[in-house]
Amino acid sequence: MATVLWGLVGMLVGCVLALQLAWWPANLSLPWTSFGRLRPLHTNAVIFAFPGNALFGGIYYSMQRLLKTRMWSDKLSAVHFWGWQTIIVLAAITLPLGMTEGKEYAELIWPVDLLIAVIWLVFAANFFGTIAIRKVKHLYVAIWFYMSMVITITVLHVVNNLALPATLTRSYPIYSGMTDALVQWWYGHNAVGFLLTTPILGLMYYFLPRAAQRPVYSYRLSIIHFWALVFLYIWAGPHHLLYSALPDWAQTLGMVFSVMLIAPSWGGMLNGLLTLRGAWDRLRTDPILKFWVAAITFYGMSTFEGPMMSIRSVNALSHFTDWTIAHVHAGALGWVGESVFAMLYYMAPRVWNRKLYSVSLATTHFWLATVGIVLYVVAMWSAGVTQGLMWRAFDDGGLLQYPNFVDTVRTLNPFYWIRLGGGVMYLVGMLVLAWNLYKTATSAPSNALEA
Amino acid sequence: MSPVTDAVAQSAELGWVLGAMTVAFFTAFVGWTLWAWWPANRAGLDAAALLPLEDSQ
Repeated sequence: MATVLWGLVGMLVGCVLALQLAWWPANLSLPWTSFGRLRPLHTNAVIFAFPGNALFGGIYYSMQRLLKTRMWSDKLSAVHFWGWQTIIVLAAITLPLGMTEGKEYAELIWPVDLLIAVIWLVFAANFFGTIAIRKVKHLYVAIWFYMSMVITITVLHVVNNLALPATLTRSYPIYSGMTDALVQWWYGHNAVGFLLTTPILGLMYYFLPRAAQRPVYSYRLSIIHFWALVFLYIWAGPHHLLYSALPDWAQTLGMVFSVMLIAPSWGGMLNGLLTLRGAWDRLRTDPILKFWVAAITFYGMSTFEGPMMSIRSVNALSHFTDWTIAHVHAGALGWVGESVFAMLYYMAPRVWNRKLYSVSLATTHFWLATVGIVLYVVAMWSAGVTQGLMWRAFDDGGLLQYPNFVDTVRTLNPFYWIRLGGGVMYLVGMLVLAWNLYKTATSAPSNALEA
Repeated sequence: MSPVTDAVAQSAELGWVLGAMTVAFFTAFVGWTLWAWWPANRAGLDAAALLPLEDSQ
């Protein structure tokens, strides 16, 4: 429920921002609704609130079944849930008020950062406590993926947010200059890696075999997938700092590790898709499998695009352009979003013990979401490449052909309207999901799954 | 010389550490690949792959 609610809020803000970029009066000339303040609200909501809550829910659901035991402490589970919602509410208040640490995806002020650390450790204690009392000796590969998230996010969050408080709402980071930038992007890239990639891959290794009713294509490959992915991911952060003051060798290191990431990423993608061998006919009728296949396909596409963009010569064109926005949304709307929808459509009927209200509405949601993403991503690819080429264009005299930034903004405007259209379709899909789940939860008990 | 080897050359000590790390991580990779494909482990891993399909609760 929290997932759907925060997902709606986050995506609504995203659409407002898309409108602002296409039509500037939409910023209402108010400080609280300006792009600079709403943008961190959007990113925090669609990273930590929407998928954040979904993956906690998916982890609680799957780990108790994989370990054949109840959570170590139901009290800690409740503290975790309410603590996390408190953090999201605090973020929704402080960010529009302009309270920020100025670090991307780590904007929240220090008291909220402290609360995040405490609540995260509550989750960690409950997580490892449950592993300790498990009734199955073997830790299924999904649990390893979850574990990498719990450990790595703790380290990333604490190290990147080390700061000296000056007042209740203001603090100064202990790092400065290039060190600050490197720590920030080591955090930033791995927040994507260990919050939006590894746990959702773990969830894929549980929920996809459930939905397909067959074991994963190669369990051995999943083990290699896990270790290779977590080992390579953590080094890739410096690719955000190409052509900066960061020493050249560190930039190269980030680039090389990013390119190597293709191997485990595509190993995982193939492992997911091949799990469906012999079940492809069910794709016609089962929206859950449709969502999984689209999500995994977007995962494969994004993890090919990402390494490409980390190569210096490609980055020279793509950096600071809308190409990056296209890449992020293919991953976030395609891989993360559609995986979350697949999980919700699987879990919700089982948690409430009711048949899903409408399979055809779920299918409608699938098409709205998928076509929405394609519109969004294609518009931003086109905009990004156009923007990059215009910035680097020279006239015959060797001068910049478009020295005025407004020239690029005018050219890109139609793409921004198409982006808004794609975003609104995705948001409407979310509303269809919310209605479908609401009707499922409130349907008559006679509609039970096992009557 | 590439920027990476330049930086390494500036510090013989760092170069030694980097070399040792490369060997250690490569050995680990070969190690876990061998473990995953070792014939004696096959039955256990095949059984583990079925864990998500068991209905318990």
